[in-house]
Amino acid sequence: MREWFAALERPVELLVAVGPEQTPPAGARDVDFGAEMVKVCEGLAELGDGVTWRVEDEPDGFPRFPAVSIRPDGRDAGVRYDGLPWGYELGSLVGAILEAGRAEPSLRSESLAELEMLDRDLVLDVFVTPT
Amino acid sequence: MLLAYRCAFASKRVAATAIEANEFPQLAQELGVWAVPRIVIDGEPRWDGAVPEPEFLRRILATA
Repeated sequence: MREWFAALERPVELLVAVGPEQTPPAGARDVDFGAEMVKVCEGLAELGDGVTWRVEDEPDGFPRFPAVSIRPDGRDAGVRYDGLPWGYELGSLVGAILEAGRAEPSLRSESLAELEMLDRDLVLDVFVTPT
Repeated sequence: MLLAYRCAFASKRVAATAIEANEFPQLAQELGVWAVPRIVIDGEPRWDGAVPEPEFLRRILATA
């Protein structure tokens, strides 16, 4: 992962949002999800100089906590992970960092052309689980 | 998940969020999440499962 992060073409900031959490799932009563999220992002940032992190308490624009906003050049690109990325889902967060660190989009040129034609905003929510 | 993220990084008109279903069970229940990944567009559940990039684009743009 250090090699991947070393190849980032632009800096990526992880903005960790902490705040009131919903009732934890069964068996997870002792888990402080916000604190764990901070640890995850801190650990990822230690793997490459191009990745930084900071934490804010209940920032605007975050409906659920904890969450992390993945920001190329520190800019809000509308990309978030809500909840703690456990297990395999850590790959989604790492993937988002790698995408954010790309100077050019990785979509096919045909896809980029189609997105160019969008004339209104789209909000995509993807429900995931760690296993 | 990555396709949604790629679309968001590529277009200022697209926002993409992964939501850990186990941590937000009430929201997951409201949106009938029984299988993952479940794709929700503008608050409306659309489909379950991963699809190739051209099909993903076709489906999200069909809602626009």
